[in-house]
Amino acid sequence: MAETAATEDRTGQEPLELKITHPLSEMATMFFANHAAVAGLVLLIFIILFTFLGPYIHTTDPFEMVWAPFSPPGEEGFLFGTDYLGRDILAAMMVGGQVSMAIGLAAAVISVVIGVTVGAFAGYYGGVIEEALMRFTEFFQVLPTLLFSMVIVALFGATLLTVTMAIGVVSWTAVARVTRSEFLRIRELEYVAAARSGSARDGYLIFRVILPNALPPIIVQANLMVGSAILFEAALSFLGLSDPNTMSWGQVIGSNRPYILDAGFAVAIPGFAIFFTVLAISLIGDGLNDALNPKLRQR
Amino acid sequence: MGLWSTVAERVGYGLLLLVAVLILNFALISIAPGDIADTIAGDMGGADASVIEEIRTRYGLDQPFYVQLWRYLSRVVQFDLGYSYFYNTPVTTLILEKLPATLLLVFSAQILAVITGTLLGVLAAKKPNGAVSLTVTFLSLFGFAAPVFWTGILLIILFVSIFPLFPVAGMMDVTVEGGFFVKTLDVLHHLVLPMITLASIFLALYSRLARASMLEVLGADYVRTARAKGVPERGVLYKHALRNALGPVVTVAGLQFSAVISGAVVVEAVFSWPGLGTLALQSILARDTPTIMGILFFSSVVVIIFNILTDITLRFIDPRIKSG
Amino acid sequence: MSKFARFLGGAALAATVVATMPSAPFAEEPKRGGTLVQAIQNTPRHLNPAVQSGIATGEPGTQLFASLLRYDESWTPEPYLAKSWEVSHDGLSVTLKLVEGATFHDGHPITSEDVAFSIETVKAYHPFKSMFAPVEQVKTPDAHTVVVVLSQPHPALLLAMSSQLLSIIPKHIYGDGQDPKTHPRNSENVVGSGPFKLVEFKRDQHIILERYENFFIKGRPYLDKIVMRIIKDGSARTIALDSGEFMLSGFEQTPRDLNRLKKNPNLNVSNEGYAAIGSIVWLAFNTKQGKTADKAVRQAISYAVDRNFILKALMLGTAKPAKTGIHPGSPFYDDSVNGYDVDLDKANKLLDDAGYAKGSDGMRFGLTVDYGWAIVKPYAEYMKPQLKKIGIDVTVRASADFPTWAKRISNHEFDMTMDNVFNWGDPVIGVHRTYDSDNIKKGVIWSNTQQYSNARVDELMKLAGSTYDLDERKKYYAEFQQILAGELPIYWLFAGPYHTVANKKVGNPPNSIWGTSAPLDRVYLK
Repeated sequence: MAETAATEDRTGQEPLELKITHPLSEMATMFFANHAAVAGLVLLIFIILFTFLGPYIHTTDPFEMVWAPFSPPGEEGFLFGTDYLGRDILAAMMVGGQVSMAIGLAAAVISVVIGVTVGAFAGYYGGVIEEALMRFTEFFQVLPTLLFSMVIVALFGATLLTVTMAIGVVSWTAVARVTRSEFLRIRELEYVAAARSGSARDGYLIFRVILPNALPPIIVQANLMVGSAILFEAALSFLGLSDPNTMSWGQVIGSNRPYILDAGFAVAIPGFAIFFTVLAISLIGDGLNDALNPKLRQR
Repeated sequence: MGLWSTVAERVGYGLLLLVAVLILNFALISIAPGDIADTIAGDMGGADASVIEEIRTRYGLDQPFYVQLWRYLSRVVQFDLGYSYFYNTPVTTLILEKLPATLLLVFSAQILAVITGTLLGVLAAKKPNGAVSLTVTFLSLFGFAAPVFWTGILLIILFVSIFPLFPVAGMMDVTVEGGFFVKTLDVLHHLVLPMITLASIFLALYSRLARASMLEVLGADYVRTARAKGVPERGVLYKHALRNALGPVVTVAGLQFSAVISGAVVVEAVFSWPGLGTLALQSILARDTPTIMGILFFSSVVVIIFNILTDITLRFIDPRIKSG
Repeated sequence: MSKFARFLGGAALAATVVATMPSAPFAEEPKRGGTLVQAIQNTPRHLNPAVQSGIATGEPGTQLFASLLRYDESWTPEPYLAKSWEVSHDGLSVTLKLVEGATFHDGHPITSEDVAFSIETVKAYHPFKSMFAPVEQVKTPDAHTVVVVLSQPHPALLLAMSSQLLSIIPKHIYGDGQDPKTHPRNSENVVGSGPFKLVEFKRDQHIILERYENFFIKGRPYLDKIVMRIIKDGSARTIALDSGEFMLSGFEQTPRDLNRLKKNPNLNVSNEGYAAIGSIVWLAFNTKQGKTADKAVRQAISYAVDRNFILKALMLGTAKPAKTGIHPGSPFYDDSVNGYDVDLDKANKLLDDAGYAKGSDGMRFGLTVDYGWAIVKPYAEYMKPQLKKIGIDVTVRASADFPTWAKRISNHEFDMTMDNVFNWGDPVIGVHRTYDSDNIKKGVIWSNTQQYSNARVDELMKLAGSTYDLDERKKYYAEFQQILAGELPIYWLFAGPYHTVANKKVGNPPNSIWGTSAPLDRVYLK
């Protein structure tokens, strides 16, 4: 799926060189110099406002049948038209966006937590532990991600929780690899070596000393994870593996799918919502990468 | 290290991974609520408790977990993935029946994405601020951000419903009369839209990669030298630089196979492509556990094989690369 | 002679006329030859309907295997592999005479032995146990005579001998001691008795059938070949039917696609037939556990559901209302029962009176509604906003796979479920199972999962199921439907809107009570 598409892009690059004492303001300057990234940020802010503040202005319940099914967009006072049950698609886009983004965020958090833990321990300890953990990572890379999460959702039921877990569990490997390579690099740096030879405990070193400095590429990666998790959820919904009690963008697409010939808009609109959200996120990702990757700045 | 010993090592390691995959799949299915006996009983139009017990015994479900696992593993070693209770056919037969369709789709989409992606990347690198470069950026963003089923549906609406250029579903029209050539053409005709849809996800990634490595290579000394020597620009671009740009693309493409298979599942669902993805979805809906496990296993096999093949291909493209 | 026997005798006579003068009822002479490309919706698990129910197997299965009788569009039995049949005076035995010279696709003659074997196989392995339950013995006095001996009069027998319910299978193939349900010849090298023989079966792709030259009806089938393309996706089928790539598709039921296809001047879109399939979409209640055990709650819900809205807005006029558990196309359907037309005030009052007061949030209590597969999902989802109007907070419970749903429902772990159940011809086969208190069987889906029990209803079913007298049966089923409509173990919504879409080039498109799950030997291409 597309999620790995973007992640591989990062790892294909050389290890990042980082100036630890870099001031935040310069990063911000770098970020804002990337016009696409700024556009992405503006777009994302707009989408977030739309989904989270929208329901206060447009108070229609997305589950309520308000009109005849498949009223086309713009007619009868429905900006985005109505779906196969005559429910307001605009309302579904707002509330569904909250769910889609929440799933995206939660799944990304799960994969980052797993990925960082595995990567950090592998990179910090090295040796047998590293070997074992990286084999473990490779094992998960061999699993067909979507098929595997389809099976999880089918076996344990299509609820928000299982869907989120299923996505998180299959998509952490890229984070683990990025984290490990950062740890490998940073642990050799002088001040870390000094701290290690001192009496600092491993846990302190891993989470207080190395991790903060390894964060930039992980942040970039995590950002992309959110986008790919949104896509992932949409794919599961499309295949019919979603919770019908929670509106999500994917859910709207999946449930209107049988009617594409007559009411393409009911599929196209949530498709555009997903597209623009993921687009915004990946543009921001590019910007973050620029801002956090000093090597690029010299170009 | 020689080529063959590397391959042998990778294959050995791949086999170990496969055993782990099998154990995980088996454990997952075992801890899930409900088992195949319930399914079969429901399917028979119902059965009382004694019949359900009998089915459990027949399928060995009354045995402890490790016994069941051991039995399963020892059968898999003999290429026996069990029996699909839904289709009443050995799972291996079912999978081998569907595998060619999926491989055709996955392979052609990958090749299309790698070739077009690299070419676009190279063209974009030639003029980093030109129109092609902009197009590549746009395409790559689209490919990454658009849900793949959505792309597929849009293509169907456009090229099947509005402009009926392509057949809507399936892999072949059995009513087409003619020899091998005509039939192949028919399959290719059916292949176009699914292939483009699947390729669209990865096109983005490859064109970006190719562009980045081309930019790097074009700045390198030996290219400058070649240029200074008066090698024509075309020659510089395609002979020296392209070869170097292809390396990273192939490496990444090889690593993408797991992702390509995932994409194929969705694309198959959109285009009614009769491959493993279609079979997987059907088996999941019917909870045909032997088939589900078989497909998961087989997908992993395919991914591992392609990882090994990628290694070998890379050695041909760039002999400097050693194992690992 | 009983009324039934007279009725049958007349029918047999009429049918003989048809059989001897095949061209008479047709406006034009059927043409021989050609390949029919037909769409089917699901990959059959295998092709032997004797041990597998369902339409996916029925559509190809009825081409491969002949049954003893067939039915026209108005419930009249016609001779098929049996050229005549007679019910004894006491109604306890039926004697059938087989067509002479009929052969299986491998050339073996079809004899009474094969018929007896087929009936025994279906009785033992087919999920519809009530079809041949009263059959005590099948006698074979000679190669072309079959005598079915019954323990009680069994009015469903003739329907159970038609279409996919009784496929005549070769004893010399399936009688080899292997389990017929998993017999390898169910999907490969199938040796059938029907008008077409199997050329190729590719799962998820197609089934290719070819005319059986020695079919027992001379001159039939007209078609050289039938190619059944297996296309799950409704939109894909619609596009291909629209463009003329597919010539025929049965069991189509997506209202929007149907209305789109109706606009195409090259297509015939017809809802004729399918009455024996008898598909009904309904909302079933758990009548023993939870809030739905209260009749007032069930009635209130039924008053809250707007059947007309569903028929108009969701079904776009393609479906007929079904007010009872018997299909409106059946001669036993009673239209006079209370249909619970939408009345929200009445629904609210019923709940108020029953003591379910609204809480501060306007809600009285919560219920779940299940659905097992995609077709019925929209109606389950409809319940959520609609029942909110009477203060019931509905949670839609999805089941990722069919077995999960079947397990929940059959173990009675549900409040309400949306379901789509078939009558399968006679009420004895497909209706009784839902209401019979003897059929409350945990773990068995499509048994009486509502756990409904009423002694009078049980008695009425017994009476109606053991007489051949049509009028008497109608009377019993009328009372049966009245009681059920009052007690509402189920709220019946509408009849599944099955349509046959046929290109105008297709002559004699199938229109029997079994729809396209019936032999296509009369179909031809213009």
